Amino acid sequence: MKKEFTPRITSFLCKWCSYTGADLAGTARLQYPTSIIPIQVMCSSRVDPVFLIKAFLNGSDGVLIGGCHPGDCHYETGNYHARRRFAIVKSVFDSLGLESKRLKLSWISASEGPKFARVANEYTEEIMKLGENPTRKSIFL
Amino acid sequence: MSSIIIDTSASRKVRELLRFLLESGKIDAAVTMRKIPEDSSYDLALITDASNLDEAVPIVPVMTVNAGQVLSSISTSGKKIAVVLKPCELRAFVELVKREQGSFENLLTISHTCGGVFPLDLVAAGKIEELLPKYEKIISKGEVPANTRDTCRACEHFIPMNADITVAVAGDCESGKGCVMYLNTDKAEEYAEGFSGERGELKFDPSALKKMLDARLLEKEKLFASITEDGPGLDRLLDTFGKCIGCHGCNSVCPICYCLLCDFESANFDYNLPYFEEHLSRRAALRLPPDTIFFHLGRLTHMSFSCVGCGMCSDVCPVGIPVAAVFRKTGEKTAALFDYVPGRDVEESIPVMVYKEEEFSDIG
Amino acid sequence: MTDSERKGAVLPAAKEPGDAVLDFLRLVMEKKLADAVILPLKVPSGDSYAWILMNDISLLDDAVPIAATMPVHGAKALRSLTRKGPGNLTVIAVMRPCEIRAAMELEKLGQVHPDNLILATYDCPGAVQLQKYVDDPAGSEKLFTEMMQKGKPDDSAKPVCHYCENFSMFDSDIHFGHLGLSDKEMFVIPGSSKGSKFLEELGLTPAVDLSAWEEGIDKLKTDRKKARKSAFEETGVQLRGIDGLLSVFANCIGCHNCQSACPICYCRLCYFDSETAEQNPDALIIAAEKRGGISLPEDRILFHTGRMAHMSLSCVSCGQCSDACPVSIPVAGVFSYIADQTQRTFEYIAGRNDGDPLPLRQFRKSELPGVHELVKDADAEVSSHE
Repeated sequence: MKKEFTPRITSFLCKWCSYTGADLAGTARLQYPTSIIPIQVMCSSRVDPVFLIKAFLNGSDGVLIGGCHPGDCHYETGNYHARRRFAIVKSVFDSLGLESKRLKLSWISASEGPKFARVANEYTEEIMKLGENPTRKSIFL
Repeated sequence: MSSIIIDTSASRKVRELLRFLLESGKIDAAVTMRKIPEDSSYDLALITDASNLDEAVPIVPVMTVNAGQVLSSISTSGKKIAVVLKPCELRAFVELVKREQGSFENLLTISHTCGGVFPLDLVAAGKIEELLPKYEKIISKGEVPANTRDTCRACEHFIPMNADITVAVAGDCESGKGCVMYLNTDKAEEYAEGFSGERGELKFDPSALKKMLDARLLEKEKLFASITEDGPGLDRLLDTFGKCIGCHGCNSVCPICYCLLCDFESANFDYNLPYFEEHLSRRAALRLPPDTIFFHLGRLTHMSFSCVGCGMCSDVCPVGIPVAAVFRKTGEKTAALFDYVPGRDVEESIPVMVYKEEEFSDIG
Repeated sequence: MTDSERKGAVLPAAKEPGDAVLDFLRLVMEKKLADAVILPLKVPSGDSYAWILMNDISLLDDAVPIAATMPVHGAKALRSLTRKGPGNLTVIAVMRPCEIRAAMELEKLGQVHPDNLILATYDCPGAVQLQKYVDDPAGSEKLFTEMMQKGKPDDSAKPVCHYCENFSMFDSDIHFGHLGLSDKEMFVIPGSSKGSKFLEELGLTPAVDLSAWEEGIDKLKTDRKKARKSAFEETGVQLRGIDGLLSVFANCIGCHNCQSACPICYCRLCYFDSETAEQNPDALIIAAEKRGGISLPEDRILFHTGRMAHMSLSCVSCGQCSDACPVSIPVAGVFSYIADQTQRTFEYIAGRNDGDPLPLRQFRKSELPGVHELVKDADAEVSSHE
C-alpha cells in the first residue's frame, strides 16, 4: 500500500503576530494540519533568504513565513524588509524554474486565529497538489 | 561640457592624459591596465610615477580583476587618483560605494565604450596581441567580437554610466583613430584643463551604437535562453551546478561579494555527524562536502540584483560552469522587481536596504 | 609490518580493477561492517564526479571507485563529515593515496577525526587534469583506462602525478593493489591493525605472497624518482630569484582558488584574506610611491610565498591547486618543489601516519645545523607541544 503523502511545511512565524495567531487557533480548538512545523522568530525580517533555501533544499515540501500585517510590525518596518527579501527569493526561484509555490509569505496578526487555520489548511492543500519536494531525495544537491 | 578629438589611438591618448595629470600634480596616482612585455601578461597597476606609465594600456580588452573591486581598497586614501575603468567595473564600484566599501570623492573616473573583454584563458595563453587588430576592427564597425566573454557579448550596458570622462572607442571611429573623449562633469573639465588636443562641443550620441546594442540584445536573448534550454527546474540546476567543486572562486572574484567571510564559508554551515545521519536515513546518499546548490542559490538571493555582468565568475570557474550567465539572467529579474539597475546611480539605495509601504500587493 | 611479511588476499574483478573494489564494498555493506560508503559518482551532467556518502547498496552500481579525475579532494569530503568529531557512523572510503595522506595531515591539524573511518587506497596511475576531463569526459575515460593498465600517467594527467612516489600503499587501513596482476584480479592488503581486523571480520585471509606486486611498485618508483629529480631541477631554475618567482606567477589574478582547492588549507578565513593582511589605502599609495607603481591586487607574491611557509610541510602534491587555477599557473609544481625541500629539512613526509606530530609542533634543543648557531652540549631529546 502506498503511504499517504503528509507534507512538511517549515513555518517561520513572527513571535508577535503569526506565532500568537497560531496559538490562538490552538486555544480556540480550530483544526489545522500537522504539516505545519512552526519555528518562532522574533520578526519576519529575521528570516534570511538562505533560511528559505536551506529548508527547501533539505526537503521541506513548503516553506511559510508568517509576519505582522504591513504597518503593524512590532519593530515598525521589519515586515516591509521581509517582503522585499521574499520577493527576491521568489524571483530567483522563478527565473530558474524552481517551484516558487513551495514558498509562501502570509500576514497573520495575533488576533487572527481563524486566518492562521485557514492559511495552514489552504497551503497544505496546495502543497498536497504539488506533491513531495524532489529535493527530499536528491543526492547531488 | 567639452570634448577632445583624439588624434592617436584612444588608449595612447588616455595614457597621455594620465601622464599629464600625474606630471602636473593634479593627481597623486593613476589606476590603469598595464602590459608586462617580458611575460606577455597584463595586470592592473597603481602608478604614482609618470615614467612608469610607458607600459600602461588604459584601454585593452582584458580584465584580470574587476577594477571596481580593487578600487575599494584604495579609494579612501585621501589622495587624488585617476582610474580607467570598463563600464561594468565602474558600475561595480558604484555598488560597492553604496555598501560603504569605497568613495568617489577623490577619484577622477575615466571610462570608455566597451567592446567586451577576452576570457582569461586567452590572456594566460598570451593570445591577446594577436587578437587585438581584428577585435579593434570589429568594434569600430559597431559589431560584437565573437571570442569575448559570453556576458560581454550579451551586455547592453557598454556605454559608461556616470564616468567623469567617456572615451568613445566603439562604433564611431576607425581603428581607434579619430575617437572622441567627452568630458562629462565639472570635475573632468577642471582636471583636463591644459591637456592638449583639439577641443569641441561634441555631445556623446548613443544612437551611433544602436547596431551594437541590437546585436548585444540578441546575444542576451540567446544566452538567457541557453540557461534553461533543456527545461527549467531542479534537474536543470543540478545539470548546471552539479560539477561545482566548491572552490568559491566565483565568489572571491565577484566585485559585489565584498564580505570578508562569506556566510557560506562560516561556521553557520558546518554540520556535526547527526546531520549526515539524518540525511542518510532518507536520501540514501548525499554529497560531500554538502551544500553545493545551496551556495549558488544563496548567493543569487544575496547579490544578484547588484550583478553587473562582468563575467569574472565564469572566467575563474575551473570546471566551466556558466556562472555569469545564470547570475545575469536571474539578476536582471531580481533587479527588475525594484526597477533597479546596478551601478546606475550612486544615490540610489540597494533594494534590500529600503522599502515602499505600497508594493508587492500580491505577496502576503 | 615489514614488506617481506606483507601478505594479501586476491579478489576477482569482473571486467576492470574497480569492479573488485565494488564487490568488496558490497560484501562490507551486506555484512554490515560499515554504515556507509564514500565513493565518487558521476554528476548528472556526466562530465565530472562528486564524492557521495551512501548507505544504499544499489547506488554502488553507479559508483566509480577509481575515478579518472579528482574534482574535489577526498580529504575535503572526509573533513566535512568528521570535522566536528568522529560520531557513531562507521564509514569506509576509497580514495587516492594523496587524498588519504592529506586526511592524515588534517587529522594532525584536528580537522579530520578518522576514528570510525576505514580508509582504503589503490595503486594510483595519476589523475586526469580536471579541465581536460570536463572538456572530453569520454576521451579522458579511455586514456585513464590505459593509464590504469600501465600504472603510469600520460599527458592528460596532472604534471605532479608524473613524479609522485607515493602512488601506492601509504598508511591506509586497506589497500587495493592491481599492479603485477591481471585485469581480472585485485590484491586486497591490510595496512593497519584496524584494516587487518576488518578483513578478518569480512572473512578474507591475507595469505598470498605479494612479491610480484611489490616488484612492480618498486620499478615504477624508480622511474618516478628520476622524473621527480628532473622536474625539480627544471622548477628550481624557473623559480630562481625574485624575477623567477614573478615570472612564474605573472598571470596570477589573486583569486586564491589554489588555496581554496587545497586540502591542507583548512582555515575558514585565510590569513591572506583577513583584515590583518589587508593593506590600508595609505600604505598602498606609499608602497606605490616607493616603486613608482605597484600591481593590483597587491601582495600576490606574498600570498604564494606565505602559503608556502604556512602549509608546504603538509603538502601532499595532489595537484588540486593547478587544476583550480584559471590562468594555468603551475602552482602544484612549485609547491611540490618547495614541499620537497621544507619536508626534507625536518625529515618529514606529509601524510605519514606514524604518530610523529607536525614538525612545527615539536622541537629538539639541538637541531637544524646550518640554519642557526648550534647550542653546545644541548641534549637531543624531543620536546613537544602535543
